[in-house]
Amino acid sequence: MAVISVDRLTKRFGPVLAVDDLSFEVEAGSVAGFLGPNGAGKTTTLRCLLGLVSPSQGAATILGSPYVALADPIRRVGAVLEASGFHPGRRAIDHLRIAATTAGLPMARAEAVLAEVGMDAFAGRRVGGFSLGMRQRLALAGALLGEPEVLILDEPGNGLDPEGMHWLRGFLRAFADRGGTVLVSSHVLAEVAQTVDHIVIVARGRLVASSTLSELVRRSSGSVRVETSDARRLRDALRARGVEAEVSETVVAPGTTTEVVAQVAADAGVTVTEVTAERADLEAVFLELTSPDGARR
Amino acid sequence: MTDLLRAELLKVRTTRLVVGLLAASVGLVAMGVVGSILAAGDAGTPPLEVPQGVRNAFGNAGVVSILVLVLGILVVTGELRHGTITQTFLLTPRRPRVVGAKLAAMGVVGLAFGVVASAVNLAVALPWLAVKDVSVDVLGGDVAPVLLAGTLSAALYGLIGVGVGALIRNQVAAVVVALVWSFILEGLLVSLLPAVGKWLPQGAARGLSQETLADGSLLPPWAGGLVLVAYAVAFAAIGARLLVRRDVT
Repeated sequence: MAVISVDRLTKRFGPVLAVDDLSFEVEAGSVAGFLGPNGAGKTTTLRCLLGLVSPSQGAATILGSPYVALADPIRRVGAVLEASGFHPGRRAIDHLRIAATTAGLPMARAEAVLAEVGMDAFAGRRVGGFSLGMRQRLALAGALLGEPEVLILDEPGNGLDPEGMHWLRGFLRAFADRGGTVLVSSHVLAEVAQTVDHIVIVARGRLVASSTLSELVRRSSGSVRVETSDARRLRDALRARGVEAEVSETVVAPGTTTEVVAQVAADAGVTVTEVTAERADLEAVFLELTSPDGARR
Repeated sequence: MTDLLRAELLKVRTTRLVVGLLAASVGLVAMGVVGSILAAGDAGTPPLEVPQGVRNAFGNAGVVSILVLVLGILVVTGELRHGTITQTFLLTPRRPRVVGAKLAAMGVVGLAFGVVASAVNLAVALPWLAVKDVSVDVLGGDVAPVLLAGTLSAALYGLIGVGVGALIRNQVAAVVVALVWSFILEGLLVSLLPAVGKWLPQGAARGLSQETLADGSLLPPWAGGLVLVAYAVAFAAIGARLLVRRDVT
């Protein structure tokens, strides 16, 4: 069953079309990466999903119903939307106690989640003095208060140091392995690539891809690099078989496979010393898909 | 609903703002009492020997109402300014309940400010009046109704503050508008056009407490109270409508 379902969602802010007929789903127990450049409509989509922004058209549901209709939402869905959502004069523990009080959760949960995100030493400090990374952790602590089954995180990597990012990846993976569902947005593909099962890519409010990471890589054009003493002859042999290739110090043949190239080399009697499949760089795939040209295709 | 009200009160208590405003009201009320007692009997001001003079000595809750108004504004605009409104609405997506809890919380906070102001008022005025040999009947006379009126006014001003905050949204602008209106414009209208002034919030609050209004006749207490309630309901309704319908971005 789809835990998160965005169905033909459209949101206009005055003349600005922030989200344009966007549809995707996230399955239970998976980590989905929600990717797109800045201004692609990610945050607006998440805010529609959480009932903070009302869609112009279409619908977004969590656990089968609109967020607003969930009874006791904090026990079902945890969300981190922006690092700035704190009163600077308030202590970290008080921020969580307010949330726990609202939801009727025991006060001990506030301390427990603060320890869970490694912030227990800062419980009595005022949030105004926190770094961006500490705010991110505090926000995540708030999302975990009700022990939810779904996590929705908007750019949680912002401001985290490499160690914090590593910790977050491990945390999300463990959360999904326990059966939880995660939708995590980012404008940096590499940040989530190691963690996500599924990738949804948006640009200018529209869906440009929704697939697994490996599908995405397969769809993009990789190339084969060949080390050989007889580069020109191999190139000509490849061309004769309809495979374009370029010669520099090595032979680079885009859009084909190592099997094809090896067979051609063998048939042509060219000695090769190394045949490497070059996966397209993930970042390049992302840029290609989200560029204005990429989206038009 | 009680969880929500407790959470809203916790929000108010966990910033240092409320401490500052409470300290300010203690100081301003004390100064106000001293001013009223010193001025009693001067040109045009009723002396302490008549009931109106006594009422004026105990009717210094007006300034507390304005501080509660500011607090109500800050409670709403602070959530918008710092983005905590996002968490608030995530925790309670049924927004009318949030607005209801905020209004209730500011009512409670206003009452608390009114009680503190009344205590300060009594603590300063009673010993002083005793020294001046003015006998005052706190419970049976004019004192209790005046203090009660000030406390009720403060609570109603808290509701008005929630509405003003939701309406203007920008924290600095909302506070400036509220202060300029309360300390300058309203005062001018009250002294220049008392017939209009008695219908304004401060005029209505004075009707409720029966303090003097410069040269103008006051509304009777029940009418002043009703007018002030009407202002509170109107502002609370406008604020609730805006907070419930707007996108939180």
